[in-house]
Amino acid sequence: MFSQQGLSLEQAPPIFVVLRFFFAGSLFGVMAGIALLFYREEIFDPSSVAAVTFTHILTLGVMLSFMFGALFQMLPVIAGVVLSTPVQKANFVQYPMIVGTLMLLWAFNFDAQSWIYAVAALLLGLSILYASGIMLQALIKLPNHSASSKGMTAALAALSIAVLLALYLVLIRGGYLDGSHYLAAKEAHYSLALFGWIGVLIISISFQVIEMFYVTPPYPPAASRTLAFVILGLLVLFGILAFVYPQLRPLKESLMALLLIVYALITLRRLSQRKRPITDATVWFWRIGMGSLVLSMLMLVARQFVSTEWIVGTSAIFYAAFALSVVFAMFYKIVPFLTWFHLNSQGYFAAPMMHEVIHPKIAKRHLWIHLATLVCLLLSQAFAPLTLVAALLMIFSFGQMSYLILHARRVYIKTQKEGERFDMGA
Amino acid sequence: MTISSYMKNQHRECDTHFAKSEEEAAKSNWEAAIAAFETFADVTLTHFKREEEELFPTFEEITGNAMGPTRVMRFEHEQVKGLIGKMAHALDDQDKDAYLSLSESMMILLQQHNMKEEQMLYAMCENLIPPELKEKTLEAMKQIVL
Ligand SMILES: [Fe+2]
Ligand SMILES: [Fe+2]
Repeated sequence: MFSQQGLSLEQAPPIFVVLRFFFAGSLFGVMAGIALLFYREEIFDPSSVAAVTFTHILTLGVMLSFMFGALFQMLPVIAGVVLSTPVQKANFVQYPMIVGTLMLLWAFNFDAQSWIYAVAALLLGLSILYASGIMLQALIKLPNHSASSKGMTAALAALSIAVLLALYLVLIRGGYLDGSHYLAAKEAHYSLALFGWIGVLIISISFQVIEMFYVTPPYPPAASRTLAFVILGLLVLFGILAFVYPQLRPLKESLMALLLIVYALITLRRLSQRKRPITDATVWFWRIGMGSLVLSMLMLVARQFVSTEWIVGTSAIFYAAFALSVVFAMFYKIVPFLTWFHLNSQGYFAAPMMHEVIHPKIAKRHLWIHLATLVCLLLSQAFAPLTLVAALLMIFSFGQMSYLILHARRVYIKTQKEGERFDMGA
Repeated sequence: MTISSYMKNQHRECDTHFAKSEEEAAKSNWEAAIAAFETFADVTLTHFKREEEELFPTFEEITGNAMGPTRVMRFEHEQVKGLIGKMAHALDDQDKDAYLSLSESMMILLQQHNMKEEQMLYAMCENLIPPELKEKTLEAMKQIVL
């Protein structure tokens, strides 16, 4: 009956697909740390090359890699979406994305000729639109939607629009188009990427995983059914309006702040209602993430009244802390669980336990390093040399994550080679 | 009572016993941990039996599909049963690290399994099975003991 090793596994892509996305994400994290070593406090000036470069290492390099990895994994298992030939699809997405990101960063920094922008844009545009295209196509065909799968659809739609806008921006920067709508397009690009893609994706993922990992009551349906599409709808609406009424931006940002704060508070509440009283590091990563989101959004609102460089910078730091905290929280669950799950599904009696893949102590130590990085970055706005410490901490923690992925891979291969295996009956 | 609510309640009941066992084990209260774990295992296995002997066959008959969702569910039941055995061993050995590690896998496995059932399978059952047959299946499930 289980001639193909059981359906759970048939549905899930090979573990290496996920690990490879995560590995690329971690290496880009190391790169972000190195970039910070060079740029130092320059990153706090939003109009600087340093800020644009640093932001794109984090968003394109780190976040997109982790999020695509998570989606490739989660869509089949949780949303029931089957992607055929996942390895091939992952290759088509990942390699152009990496090369494109590196070329774009180069172009930002070294007064590049326009063809470098063009090639970077082509590689990134095609790979990201291809990935979101196949995922959207599979999602739209789903007969039974959950709040989570609907939210993922909204997030991928936001990503696609953000990428199209980015292509437009690149064409302007490369001198192919005139720049009369540059500012409105740039503004829409940022909001769709940060709120529509990263924000909505994290929101939709939490509808599933908070309940699943921590055994909490589900999110209130009023929130889980509406939040994702309301955010997407508002962003698109304001994005279009901005071409005519650029002065509406404070209203848009205040609405985003309101919605995201509501989400963060519900999540914090759910975490406190969890049935499993045991608290591991990942619970705290979520809490730090949600706390950071609230603070980031409060700063975003404050910025409408007193726009100082400090407020803008702090809001950005907290938003990055929000996104990265959630990535870390997911990482320390997903990597050990998948390693165990795949091997166990294949019938290996000695499938390594989750603690043997990544011990919770390591996650706990990372938690402290993460907090220290956050504090250093916040303080470095006043005392610049602290960026150096933050940079080193970032290099260390992402370096360690890269190592942990390699370790998981080694454990996996070793079990497959040496482990005793049950015949699951063919 | 609907099939869906009847089954969901059992999922929640399993969670409660499981969380209790995990909490006691974390505090090295082995006797209490074992007691809660045994209840968890009983409730879970009875629930599986209700699904495998009554609900799934009805679903398969109505949809004419024995290779689809119910096959995944049965396979995951086997995985859960395997973990129950390993966890019982860890409890016997009072091996806290192993127990907590296994319980982590168990919780994720079971939660994603339950969510798939609640969001897809049970929902499909409610929509597809005719009312009388639903009533009959529910009654039959209530009769099942381990
Ligand atoms: Fe089940
Ligand atoms: Fe069930």
